[in-house]
Amino acid sequence: MAVTSRLVPWLLALAAGAAAAGEGRASAWWEQLQGERLQIHGFASVTAVKTSANRFFGDSPDLSWNFIEVAVNASYQLNSRVLFAGQVLARNAGDMYDGTPVLDYGLADVTLDETPTRRLGLRLGRLKNPVGLYNETRDVPFTRPSIFLPQVIYFDKVRNMLLSTDGIMVYGDLYSGHGDLSFTLSAGQPVVDENVEWTLLGADFPGRLRARGLSWVGGLWYSALQERLRLGVSDIISSFSYEPALAPDFGAGRVTFNYLVLSAQYNTEHWTLTSEYGRLPMAYRDFGASFPYHNLPGEGYYLQGTYRVLPTLELMLRYEEGFADRKDRDGTRASSLVGGAVPPGDYFARIWSLGVRWDLNPHVMLRAQYERHQGTYTIAARENDPAALVKDWDLFALQLAVRF
Amino acid sequence: MIVHPGVEVTAITTNEARLYLTMRLKTWPNGVPVKVFVLPDEDPLHRRFATAVLGLYPYQLRRVWDRQLFSGTGQAPTAVASEAEMIRRVAATPGALGYVGSVPADAPVRSLEVR
Repeated sequence: MAVTSRLVPWLLALAAGAAAAGEGRASAWWEQLQGERLQIHGFASVTAVKTSANRFFGDSPDLSWNFIEVAVNASYQLNSRVLFAGQVLARNAGDMYDGTPVLDYGLADVTLDETPTRRLGLRLGRLKNPVGLYNETRDVPFTRPSIFLPQVIYFDKVRNMLLSTDGIMVYGDLYSGHGDLSFTLSAGQPVVDENVEWTLLGADFPGRLRARGLSWVGGLWYSALQERLRLGVSDIISSFSYEPALAPDFGAGRVTFNYLVLSAQYNTEHWTLTSEYGRLPMAYRDFGASFPYHNLPGEGYYLQGTYRVLPTLELMLRYEEGFADRKDRDGTRASSLVGGAVPPGDYFARIWSLGVRWDLNPHVMLRAQYERHQGTYTIAARENDPAALVKDWDLFALQLAVRF
Repeated sequence: MIVHPGVEVTAITTNEARLYLTMRLKTWPNGVPVKVFVLPDEDPLHRRFATAVLGLYPYQLRRVWDRQLFSGTGQAPTAVASEAEMIRRVAATPGALGYVGSVPADAPVRSLEVR
């Protein structure tokens, strides 16, 4: 947390600087610094989280300040066909992430063909997975609909399972009077971390979990009526194998998941209605008799409405539900598999969220969010002792974010 | 819309305007790179231009730019503070594309028709 406490004064200085830059006034020195082809941007946020019970992004029952995001990116348009882009992200998220800077993405984008009716290209490097409406920019406060994304689709406890791929992507667009059709298909190695092991296996065991074979990510999107309507289907297929430690805990098992997300969004001047449905069948094989799970067909969905009172003031209301096993919606069967060591409430979540966003100027944003939870499916085992989980709980969060 | 005097195109479709402004079409038909200039999101002229010419709300444009900018899949247009700066930057930048309320008679830029 030392990294965090050193960052806060910088954040506040940055916020003050951005506010001082004034509304709508592009600073001349910055324009000069950025050449014709080079763009440098970044953002920073600091969030206070308070929960009635259960730890979420740190010691939230006592008020946690351990949710901080800082990123800087650069892109360079070499010529009309080739773009280089990269972003470094430092993210402190409770016990899950300690704020160590990582390469969030780093890629070369090659446009093979580009006309007013179509586009085809390739991306190579570390790529954000275009899964659902928000995954690609899930860590950018300004692009999210609320401080926390709908957790039943965009789990923060296991964000790296979906986050990015080291590999290659083919993308294409078709533009017509009837709407735009876009597709992406990528293959590569998922970027895994300890949180994936925590969530897939329930703890950080002595053995190692590694990506097994290629991971595939695909998406098909349709937008129509001046992009008022957006419909999408995206899917990610990954497999991990467990290499037991010297003193074996489980067998050399493998986990495979196939995450399918259906997305729909409708935009009007004041309203945006969004809904997504995700299905996450997880198959555990060869972990041996001591491992409790075999198949967990996870499911989650939400309906969200945002209303722009003013261009700079937005309200959000959302309801979401998620289940570790869609055939065991009260969690009793899964809980009995582990002899009740994990309560039934940890296998589902029903969440009401209410949020407000205020853009003080184009560089500074303030947000507040209240959530009413039933179940603890969306919180991290890494941050909580399962025996101490409280099924019914509330969350309140405040966020300050700046960008340039 | 206005363009740098060296741009050969005299008219584009609404769809092309939308693709240029969302930075998905990056070159003019003759291969010269397009350089897009925009006014701030909250500028009344920007709002009028986005809704009347492109058929998009300013927040939709911002969403597209931010998604590209923060995922490494594209860039965002260059923001200018005023119409006077818009004319000055478009006139000085080969391949430039922008918009103003009305083009002054002696402005060193050319009008581009959107149909």
